Amino acid sequence: MSAAPEPLKPLKTWSHLADRRKRPSEYDIVSTRLHYRRRDPNAPWELDPNLPMNDWYRKYCNESPLKHPDWDLFQDPDQLVYRTYNILQDGQEAYVGGLFDQFSDRGHDEMISREWIATLASFFAPARYLYHGLQMGSAYVAQMAPASTITACLYLQSADSLRWVTHTAYRTVELSKAQPDLGFGKDERKHWENDPQWQGFRRLLEEGLIVWDWAEAFVVFNLVLKPAVEEALLGVLADAARSNGDTLYSLLSQAQMRDAERHRRWASRLVEMAMTVESNKDWLRARVADWTPRAEVAIADYCKALGEAEAGARAIERMHAFQRGLGLRD
Amino acid sequence: MSKLASNEYYDLVRTTNWTPRYVDEAELFPEMMSGARGIPAEAWETFDEPYKVTYSDYVATQREKDAGAYSVKAALERANYIDSADPGWVSTLQAHYGALAVAEFAAATAEARMARFSRAPGNRNMATFGMLDEMRHGQIQLFFPHEHTKRSRQWDWAHKAMHTNEWAAVAARHMFDDMMFTRDSVSVAIMLTFAFETGFTNMQFLGLAADAAEAGDHTFASLISSIQTDESRHAQQGGPVLKILIENGKKDEAQKMIDVIFWRAWKLFSVLTGPILDYYTPLEHRKQSFKEFMQEWIIGQFERQLNDLGLDLPWYWDEFVRALDETHHGMHMGVWFWRPTVWWNPAAGASPEEREWLESKYPGWNATFGRCWDVITENLQKGREELTLPETLPTICNMCNLPVVGTPGDGWNVKDYQLVHEGRLYHFGSEVDRWCFEQDPARYQGHMSVVDRFLAGEIQPQNLAGALLYMSLNPGEIGVDAHNYAWAGVGKQSHAAE
Repeated sequence: MSAAPEPLKPLKTWSHLADRRKRPSEYDIVSTRLHYRRRDPNAPWELDPNLPMNDWYRKYCNESPLKHPDWDLFQDPDQLVYRTYNILQDGQEAYVGGLFDQFSDRGHDEMISREWIATLASFFAPARYLYHGLQMGSAYVAQMAPASTITACLYLQSADSLRWVTHTAYRTVELSKAQPDLGFGKDERKHWENDPQWQGFRRLLEEGLIVWDWAEAFVVFNLVLKPAVEEALLGVLADAARSNGDTLYSLLSQAQMRDAERHRRWASRLVEMAMTVESNKDWLRARVADWTPRAEVAIADYCKALGEAEAGARAIERMHAFQRGLGLRD
Repeated sequence: MSKLASNEYYDLVRTTNWTPRYVDEAELFPEMMSGARGIPAEAWETFDEPYKVTYSDYVATQREKDAGAYSVKAALERANYIDSADPGWVSTLQAHYGALAVAEFAAATAEARMARFSRAPGNRNMATFGMLDEMRHGQIQLFFPHEHTKRSRQWDWAHKAMHTNEWAAVAARHMFDDMMFTRDSVSVAIMLTFAFETGFTNMQFLGLAADAAEAGDHTFASLISSIQTDESRHAQQGGPVLKILIENGKKDEAQKMIDVIFWRAWKLFSVLTGPILDYYTPLEHRKQSFKEFMQEWIIGQFERQLNDLGLDLPWYWDEFVRALDETHHGMHMGVWFWRPTVWWNPAAGASPEEREWLESKYPGWNATFGRCWDVITENLQKGREELTLPETLPTICNMCNLPVVGTPGDGWNVKDYQLVHEGRLYHFGSEVDRWCFEQDPARYQGHMSVVDRFLAGEIQPQNLAGALLYMSLNPGEIGVDAHNYAWAGVGKQSHAAE
């Protein structure tokens, strides 16, 4: 080791962040450029390059039609890290737990009508399956995304969906106590698999879950299915709940909407970044155009069955507005 | 009436399987990703995680855990412990962070594999928390070492190592990628959570935490013991999956997965954890030897867990127990000798007092490994440092991607276990490594070890300088002896007579 060149000098941060002028935040330090599978585009995993899982990652991540010279430049606009996510959500859960507690103490479920509770049995409790599907879909896109900063948003999004599943299960049990003969806790799967109000969502979910390209799966979940679900279940159903004296569902859905808004913020940022590459624009618009009609059907069927066809039309318009705001439709 | 107890609604949270109508079930859960092995959905639905946690419990508990670990760090930051720590301990931290921080973030991918593709709803939910856990372990183990980047460029490797072709990083990736990223959900549950996390992470995180506390590194001790509390929760996904496989006549398959990955984990730990516990940690802070930790955490606990599930000890158990006296000593000597090729400064750990300790923990050490250290010590004492540095290449095992090692001196048994497969000659460090390869050659056959690449001319120029360039190791990053040979100076007095 003689005549070695000058030793490298210590830096104030990771070498990959050192060229930037600004002092790195906690988010930068712990979130950026972590996917080592992006190291060698030909062999994501350090095994036989022809291993089927290497093919899978090459095809559905590295060779995705959505291109960017450096996906690692993506940053979550909320800059959440694991530590701050738990602080945020522990607070949110304390709020929702408080709602459950207070409304239960007031005898809320005895004060709302049996008819409305029957509506919840058909239109709310089965959402457990839909939310769980969102949980699964986000976990898929997370394991395929090309940058750790994108993946991290999706891990949290998947966990948020589990949060919604949990809230739904919680309310299902409470409602079963108020009206034991309406099938709460027993009939959700039947409703989900057979009732017309769910089939549009179910079709979109099932078809979305077998989209393997990371970018197209992102489009389906974050730009089409989730906005549709949110507009229908956290929007139209919440309005109906309010008209039926069910303030609890209305407040719960607003709390969940905080998560959804955060998901839309990072998804919007990612779209914005992707749109800086000219060739991505047409591809993204085409994918959105391809999938959105199925979401329109889903919202329309759900809202029509609920007796809220007009509100359904407005929900579709809100979904369109979200997409339009991103330059993804005219 | 007030809030519901979690056991009232917990089961509904994991009653989420449905029968797809718009796509085929086989499309929704491709065998390559799910690995259901023909076992029907109803059987998977019996998955029952022993450790139950709800979302609100999770965020509350984890918030507290982080508050604890981060506040210990903040409180002790000004004490600048690291500046007065023994260089061997600093190397321990650098090796640990480089090999594990980014790999743990990646481990969330494996949890996500289960969260999406497991046929068991309880597994999917637990893996969702597991995904968050591994995100935590990646992030917290990047945040903690980051403050040290100002001290030397070797700290940069906490983030950098896994992205390079440095040989230890290649070996770690080969093992991790095999265990958790290129497998179906069921294999991940067995190989990662059962075989690896129930046994080996205990070793790394509790064994090392014990030494850290002894060494006065309370920041690191609290960090890694906090991590282990997550590991022991999400590690419990493997047991219920194994139970379902065994009940459905797939015991042999399950056993084979355990046997393959247990050996692979052992080899990786023999190079990562063995040298740390038996050579780098300052003598006065060593709580137990690596072998003793292995006996407690692996032989004791893992053996019991296998028994409880009705599984057998891996077929090579006797060889594994025998190797506890050997492999990591060989790995350590290799790492020390090839020290320019690692991102930390290996501590030789071969002073007379340390040799006495090694002889007491591993009777016969002086007559075998000690003989090599005698030569190294003498060369250093006579100013022949160049003879203690690498000029040639080691033989690298095509399974563990680590040097082929054995016992030197009186117990000489070093052997290259070879296999010709489809016209290519492969080298293995043991019969078991070769057996692992033979179980599924297609997974491994096209992979080139670092030495294979060197011999194929992929690394230029074909000398040590070229190899270091290939491994992204520059002056200021490359390893040197942690104590600047002070240990050998001391050794001169007691061994000169031999």
